[in-house]
Amino acid sequence: MKRQLLLCLVGAAALNLAMTPSGRAEPEGCPVAPGSMEVLVKLPHLAERLRTGKPVTIVAIGGGSTRGAAAGAPDLAYPHRLQLALAAFYPGVPITVVNKGVPRQSAQQMVDRFPTDVIALHPVLVVWEAGITDAVRGIELDDFATAVQAGIDKLKKQAIDILLVDMQFSRRTSTVINFEEYLRALHRVGNLNEVFVFPRFEMMRYWSEQHVFNFDEVADAERARLAAEVYECIGLKLAQAIRVAVR
Amino acid sequence: MPEPSPSRDLRLDFFRGVSLIFIFIDHVPANILTYFTLQSIAFFDAAEVFIFISGVTASLVYGRRLVSKGALYATAQVLRRAWQLYVAHIFLFVLFVAEVSYTARAFKNPMYNEEMRVADFLDEPHIAVVKALLLEFQPAFLDILPLYIVMLLIFPVVLIGMQRNWVLVIVPSAILYLAVQIFDIPVSAYPAGHVWFFNPLAWQFLFVCGAVLGHCSAQGAIPPMLLKIAYPVAALIFAATLVVRLSWTLHSIWGACPALFVRELWPVDKNNLALLRLVSFFALALLVATHVPRTARFLGSAAARPLVLCGQSSLEIFCLGILLSALGHFVLAEYDSTVAMQLVVNVVGISVMFLTAKMIDWYRVVDRRPALDPAVVRGGGEGGA
Repeated sequence: MKRQLLLCLVGAAALNLAMTPSGRAEPEGCPVAPGSMEVLVKLPHLAERLRTGKPVTIVAIGGGSTRGAAAGAPDLAYPHRLQLALAAFYPGVPITVVNKGVPRQSAQQMVDRFPTDVIALHPVLVVWEAGITDAVRGIELDDFATAVQAGIDKLKKQAIDILLVDMQFSRRTSTVINFEEYLRALHRVGNLNEVFVFPRFEMMRYWSEQHVFNFDEVADAERARLAAEVYECIGLKLAQAIRVAVR
Repeated sequence: MPEPSPSRDLRLDFFRGVSLIFIFIDHVPANILTYFTLQSIAFFDAAEVFIFISGVTASLVYGRRLVSKGALYATAQVLRRAWQLYVAHIFLFVLFVAEVSYTARAFKNPMYNEEMRVADFLDEPHIAVVKALLLEFQPAFLDILPLYIVMLLIFPVVLIGMQRNWVLVIVPSAILYLAVQIFDIPVSAYPAGHVWFFNPLAWQFLFVCGAVLGHCSAQGAIPPMLLKIAYPVAALIFAATLVVRLSWTLHSIWGACPALFVRELWPVDKNNLALLRLVSFFALALLVATHVPRTARFLGSAAARPLVLCGQSSLEIFCLGILLSALGHFVLAEYDSTVAMQLVVNVVGISVMFLTAKMIDWYRVVDRRPALDPAVVRGGGEGGA
């Protein structure tokens, strides 16, 4: 009886360890809805760089959820998680993901940062997370679409591969913010330019519906840990999408 | 305002009723039925129908008042209507504040509080409330009533101008619209950086077009020849836009279908009422006006009745629709968002709108019925307008 209890405790502790974001192990479950992660586009410049094994710089530009302060430390934000996951996929290639997240910026404000925060770093891939602030501020839809298009054009001109990341989903915020149209606009711009739009919104909606991460009625410290887990899943799924796109 | 008269054009009520149902459906997010509303087959949506028909009816109703009781009286009536809309807007705003205050719990979540601080205005309620009273604060889904209010505020000028000559009205309105298209002049709102979602400087043109059309048709001043000439053009425009827009919708469902001309045409600016929206709307309006005569039998049928009634109580049903879509949103977000649940939300919402319209109509009929019993007349003397 005692031994069983002990085993149980050890098992729980082990599980706990595996779940903590500081561990290198992949999180237990980042389930996605079947068919929701079809990657049909290619990232030719990144693929070429990985083939030759030269150092790879990736810039993640976006808002507060890119910066990832919610998880408590920069290492717990999704860009760093993406770097770790990619390092595991391509052990022979030095890969750096630079985090250029600045909270509460519109797509246009991010494009204005491109010369200093993106192009100056000579990345081979840019992961661009956009749309939340535009939806919150109710920026004109076509201004938003035009800004994203301008950003894509700028990067393409520099021969930089692009991957867009759409909004975060939260059950409650979506009742007071009209995300749908901005979401559709972002996906349409991506589609038009043959740029993959990472379906973060749908993915997080799925997690919310499946109760993968339960943010309700938990203490603040626990919330930061959960945020770190979400970011870890986002980083991992992004890495998996990139792996498909460079094949 | 909706005082059914024998000469009332039921088409206006019917199609305004349809637009109100579509506005409700389109406002419930991730709603499967949005594939069956105007916006998935046309470049415009129910908002255009609603504003245009409101222009037509306003001109018919207040035009009659102007003739029978003078400009001052008609102006007072329009302003009273604007006041009703204003009160309705403030009512919806209070509901929104309640919803956000409840939702503010979610903003304690560190993942969202940095980006999605819609509840920011709760930090400065003294400013936010004043801005709402000034119509400058238009949170999600509370954007069409301010437009309608502004339209009514300018309407007395439109009405009196049309009495002299409708060209005097349409020309400045068109110039303003074109100026917005060319120079992209936004109307700023609160908080800083926001704009009026429905730019009144652009949308006024549609409302004025409706008003002028209502005025001219009441005067019998529309030459039938004009419609005959315009018909083939409208049919062509409608067919072309239908094919293109439908291809976009199908593309979003099955990626394999090509989205025609999407690179050339998209995005179609809704804020400023892009020319493409306007032209394709007029094309469809002309086709409908030609094919659905005023005397069309179905307008009087029992099946069309709920929609006609909704259109006749447009203010009440509009506000109710916004409220119901917010509730529907809440249910879908909080409990379950499966297709079955979406359908339940739609069916319940539309039924509530129909029943409310029916109830308002019943009340209106009873209210207008002369009381025969003298005792009732003596007893129930309060009433008033």
